[in-house]
Amino acid sequence: MKFDLVIAGVGGQGNIVASQAIAQCAMDAGFTVVNTETKGAAQRGGSVLSHVRLADREIYSPVVPHGQADVLLGFEPLEALRYINILSKGGKYIINMAPVPTILANMGIDTYPSEQEILSEVAARGLTGYRINATQAAKELGNVLLTNVIMLGAFTAIADILPAEAILHKLLSMVDPKFHEADIRAFRRGREMIAAQL
Amino acid sequence: MEKKFMLGNEAIARGAVEAGVKVVAGYPGTPATEIVDHCAQFPGVYAEWSANEKHAFEVAAGASLTNRRSMAVMKHNGTNAAADFLMHINFTGVRAGMVLISADDPGGLSSQCEEDTRILINSYAHLPVFDPSSVQEAYAMTKAAFALSEQTELVFALRPVMRINHAGGMVEYEATVPGDRSPEFVTDRKRFVMSAVVEKESGGELRPKMRHRWLNGKQAELKAVMEQSPFNWIEPGEGDTGFIGCGIGYAFLKEAEQIHGAKLPILKLSTLPLPEQKVLSFVKGLKKVVVFEEIEPVVENLIKKMCFENKIVLEVLGRGNYLPQEGELTANLVLNAIRSALADKPYEAAPQGKYIPARTRTQCSGCSHRGLLIALKDVVRKNGGIVTGDIGCHDAGTFEPMNLQSTIFCMGSSIPMAYGIKAAGFAKPVYALIGDSTFFHNGLTGLASAIYNAADITVIIAYNSTTAMTGFQPHPGSSSNLNSRINPMDPGAVCEAMGAKVFRCNPYSVEETIAVITEATAAKGVKVVIAEALCYLKFGRDGQISYVPKQVKVDAESCNGCSVCVRTFGCPAITIINNKAVIEESACNGCGVCVFVCKRGAIK
Ligand code: SF4
Ligand code: SF4
Ligand code: SF4
Repeated sequence: MKFDLVIAGVGGQGNIVASQAIAQCAMDAGFTVVNTETKGAAQRGGSVLSHVRLADREIYSPVVPHGQADVLLGFEPLEALRYINILSKGGKYIINMAPVPTILANMGIDTYPSEQEILSEVAARGLTGYRINATQAAKELGNVLLTNVIMLGAFTAIADILPAEAILHKLLSMVDPKFHEADIRAFRRGREMIAAQL
Repeated sequence: MEKKFMLGNEAIARGAVEAGVKVVAGYPGTPATEIVDHCAQFPGVYAEWSANEKHAFEVAAGASLTNRRSMAVMKHNGTNAAADFLMHINFTGVRAGMVLISADDPGGLSSQCEEDTRILINSYAHLPVFDPSSVQEAYAMTKAAFALSEQTELVFALRPVMRINHAGGMVEYEATVPGDRSPEFVTDRKRFVMSAVVEKESGGELRPKMRHRWLNGKQAELKAVMEQSPFNWIEPGEGDTGFIGCGIGYAFLKEAEQIHGAKLPILKLSTLPLPEQKVLSFVKGLKKVVVFEEIEPVVENLIKKMCFENKIVLEVLGRGNYLPQEGELTANLVLNAIRSALADKPYEAAPQGKYIPARTRTQCSGCSHRGLLIALKDVVRKNGGIVTGDIGCHDAGTFEPMNLQSTIFCMGSSIPMAYGIKAAGFAKPVYALIGDSTFFHNGLTGLASAIYNAADITVIIAYNSTTAMTGFQPHPGSSSNLNSRINPMDPGAVCEAMGAKVFRCNPYSVEETIAVITEATAAKGVKVVIAEALCYLKFGRDGQISYVPKQVKVDAESCNGCSVCVRTFGCPAITIINNKAVIEESACNGCGVCVFVCKRGAIK
């Protein structure tokens, strides 16, 4: 048994907290866990990829090979596209469709691809999954910083490798109690957004 | 035994502490930085940020000669900077166990270059190297290296790569620290004075040659150690094509083997020198081997030599002649190579991928460097000057949209290169832009050289009081070291004492900065402009900022959508929406620098 997850996002979107919650929860459940992140320099706004690998046997590479991930969580559509080849044929993606423009696209040097272009690139690979607007939902809940918690909740709706409640508890244990109420709501919201599409 | 999830850098620190390390010195550099921070947290361990890696190496050596175990920590560029010392301590050897951590960054994920420091340490300096394949092994190797260093009297090196330093995994560890020993310095000039001294006992031979002979004589001992090492092993498998995994290459090989689905003959090698007998027994009966190693064909070439010397006919494939010669290994690359090698086909590189719009590095919104960069850009736009750059957050000023510095090489290069350009006869002004940590690292001597040679350049020191790029480590210009508060060394005072004309400005005030740089440019000789403002990201959290925050907005009436603010300046908080500039309130930190940029006065 093995389970590979990658989380693709932009620095500052909180994918490290999300990957840590899952990794620690998996350790509590007795899995072998290996993880790594591509961590750039101190500046925000770069591309960040977290790998979380769980198995009931030894894991060798800290990096998930291409075509091996069971789930890809894309916190941002362009970042999801950048790493989509890591997803396995039978794997599932969940992509937050709210774009974060790049500097070069802002300047007109690059063109940020349209939603249609991104989706057709993904579809061309025969991959399937879910699209949600987690950023919008987070804003509705009152704080855009809840985006990662919504994505984490959404993850638990499609992956039963770890109990959703356990992941939520692990997340809450990692954040200040004054945010617990909002985090619980965001987590549930993420689960509902996927349930509505199942 | 205890078990805990930890990152590679924590595991290395723990291994060192459990081996009884007492003095640890390093200079920040991704991916090795956190090792020093972790060591500093253990009671009884003296840890420091040295001004540069050469000095870190020398500090650790001083401690080893004083009979206390020590460790020097750096990334590959640092090992280059420390190479001069490396080429002496290999000849003298050490007393207490001493370990060098030299972290490589295959693919240059977070570096200015990619290189394989096994060559510097083993092929060149003839010192032993461990190349860990996992976080657990990084712990075990670091720990073992101290005892072996003491036993052989040689510095032992650990060469982790990014995927070890920054990978997390479960580590089984002992959690015991050996008893301390007292410091003791015994003068032994015959060993620790490296000089062209005539050695009477050696028939009048010179000491460098005799110490070289000593080092060469040590190689047999090292080979015997590696022959017994638990870090090399053979895994039997089917077929007459064997696969050799070195360090992280082994991890990718095992991963690929699982996907491939059949047991392969595998030799795991993690030591230099190689365990010759183990290698020979592995290749017996094989027709072909493929070597997977980061980054250069070091093991591959050694195995070819071994086969030649032992008259063995074997096809040896690897990074020298089969696999890609640059960049990081991956499990997919290894899998591809396994399939090609088994089918007797050439390795076929994956086709170049399609470009996906990149997220280029820039400074944080509210960073003082952006004010300095735009001011300097304004000055050189008018006078046709050139800017040589250096390493630090400001180096992103070389990218779009700032496009300012014309060169980035290694730590401290900006100053000598700037006056080299003048020495070649370039008539217009030349500016060297360097950060404070880099200035103390390797800029001081370049400045001395410039002043001594009566150069005519303007050096600009971005003084933000921290080594920001690697995660905010203090440096000699900060108000603390790793252990206590100190009086910061003011780079301006240092430069003045060296004989430079010193000017000062606050880079958040763009007009003032332009005026000061212009005034400095007009003066003769070596001028230094100290652009002083705290790093926003580090100090801003504690409310320490070097500007008066203002609410900055775009007046949609006056904005004509020319997008100069985006195309030439590039604060991430500013975007163009429906032909008007918009400042995203949640991303803006109110530094006010952009007000200068809009010549229509639309940013207020
Ligand atoms: S970390 Fe500090 S110095 Fe670096 S870009 Fe951010 S504010 Fe500027
Ligand atoms: S704010 Fe000024 S510089 Fe930016 S687009 Fe508008 S007019 Fe041009
Ligand atoms: S938008 Fe202007 S005021 Fe706000 S952080 Fe960027 S440069 Fe500073």
